[in-house]
Amino acid sequence: MARRAVVAGLLLAGSPAVLAAQDQLTLPLRENSVRFAVIGDAGTGEREQYEVAHQIWRYYQAFPFTFAIMLGDNVYGPERPQDLLRKFERPYQPLLDAKVEFYAALGNHDDPNQRFYKPFHLDGKRYRSFKKENATFLVLDSNYLDPEQVKWLEDELKAAGGGWKIPYFHHPLYTTARRGPELELREILEPLFLKYGVEVVFSGHEHIYERMKPQKGIHYFTAGGSAKLRRGDTRPNGVTEVGYAADRTFMLVEIVGDTLHFQTVTRTGKTVDQGIIKRRVTGKPAPVAH
Amino acid sequence: MWFNAGRGTVIRLLAAAALLGAVAGCTKETSPIDPIADAVAEFTKGVDEYVQLRNHLADSVGPLAETMSQVQIAERAKALAQAVTIARAQAQQGDVFTPRAGAVFATLIKQEYSRRPPRVKETRGDAQEELPDFVPQVNQIYPTTYPLATFPPELLPLLPQLPEVVEYRVVQHYLILRDIEANLILDFMPRAVPVVE
Repeated sequence: MARRAVVAGLLLAGSPAVLAAQDQLTLPLRENSVRFAVIGDAGTGEREQYEVAHQIWRYYQAFPFTFAIMLGDNVYGPERPQDLLRKFERPYQPLLDAKVEFYAALGNHDDPNQRFYKPFHLDGKRYRSFKKENATFLVLDSNYLDPEQVKWLEDELKAAGGGWKIPYFHHPLYTTARRGPELELREILEPLFLKYGVEVVFSGHEHIYERMKPQKGIHYFTAGGSAKLRRGDTRPNGVTEVGYAADRTFMLVEIVGDTLHFQTVTRTGKTVDQGIIKRRVTGKPAPVAH
Repeated sequence: MWFNAGRGTVIRLLAAAALLGAVAGCTKETSPIDPIADAVAEFTKGVDEYVQLRNHLADSVGPLAETMSQVQIAERAKALAQAVTIARAQAQQGDVFTPRAGAVFATLIKQEYSRRPPRVKETRGDAQEELPDFVPQVNQIYPTTYPLATFPPELLPLLPQLPEVVEYRVVQHYLILRDIEANLILDFMPRAVPVVE
């Protein structure tokens, strides 16, 4: 299987498709940077998931990243062994063969027993943290935010020190999509994010792409359209910076010291959003440069 | 004991009930405080007994560790669910959510819902309706093709804390107790949660 991926990689590396991806890449590709992909609500096993997965693989040739974060709804419907194969292992096989690690958060369509599925890197837990260079990622289970999890989160944020603190979880605290933001979660989580200097948050659940204007200094991304799409389900308003609901999307992110670069790409390879977020040193919101 | 960590919960339960003035089962002859504490203790005892039983069964089924194999995960969940179902073949609705505990919880939940703004109630209502035709049964596998409705996070701290193998779920007007690893409903309480129109 690994050999097949290498061969596929070599074939792709010199192909016009890869060159096109290189041309379209807006990320700096610095040495020793933290590079990852972001996918949300991807586990349908349907054609669109495979098409997005193919596009991610194509971009991987130009932008080799070491891990991907999954924003929940990793496996829709039944979770029989054949479902995991069809809805996760097959579409991302080239990436798995290339040793890309997937770090999943649980969505409302996910069986919490996914935490025992090794490729999701949940370490048998419903919520966990992991560190990559100067970034601490906090994987939350927003389906069941009990007091123990809230206490754990505060302890983790406190211990994380001065680098990037990047929580991600399924339900968005800010969105203009039909189902709306999760206000109860916001009431509980936002004060902690503010207290401990969180600047970037990723969520899924809504099958669109959306980047909000900084809310109290925090950049919120909703990226739940990596297979499912709720076409046109954005209602741009005063809090929306960019909304896109015309096709499936994924994100690529690169952290270089105190700057976070992001690029949002559709299933056909078109870039629909990009920017740079600089970590703030004061309480002011971090600006986004384009 | 897991319930020790939830002492604040008991205080909130008592305060909530005192505010409401009366909870089903309270009489003039009895202090309104004691029956509520008793009801909560009854519930926690039921949960403790369940956890003791299922942990014993889980030991016999074998531990669930991280694995590359979804086959192992699925088989283990199935085996545990079967073992629990056989061991609790006589279990009935209300064994854990006893009528007294149910009355306390329903009152508390109703009161909590009444404090929430319409926008929050609407979101909760959407989640409750994710399984519109579902009628839970004790020892039933929670339907794997449906989402697990998000539990209202501001309601959770008001309910007794559960051991990590068990969780609450809300579906329509039902409050459900679910064994997470076995994906099994161990008890449920009808008309516990207001249905948001």
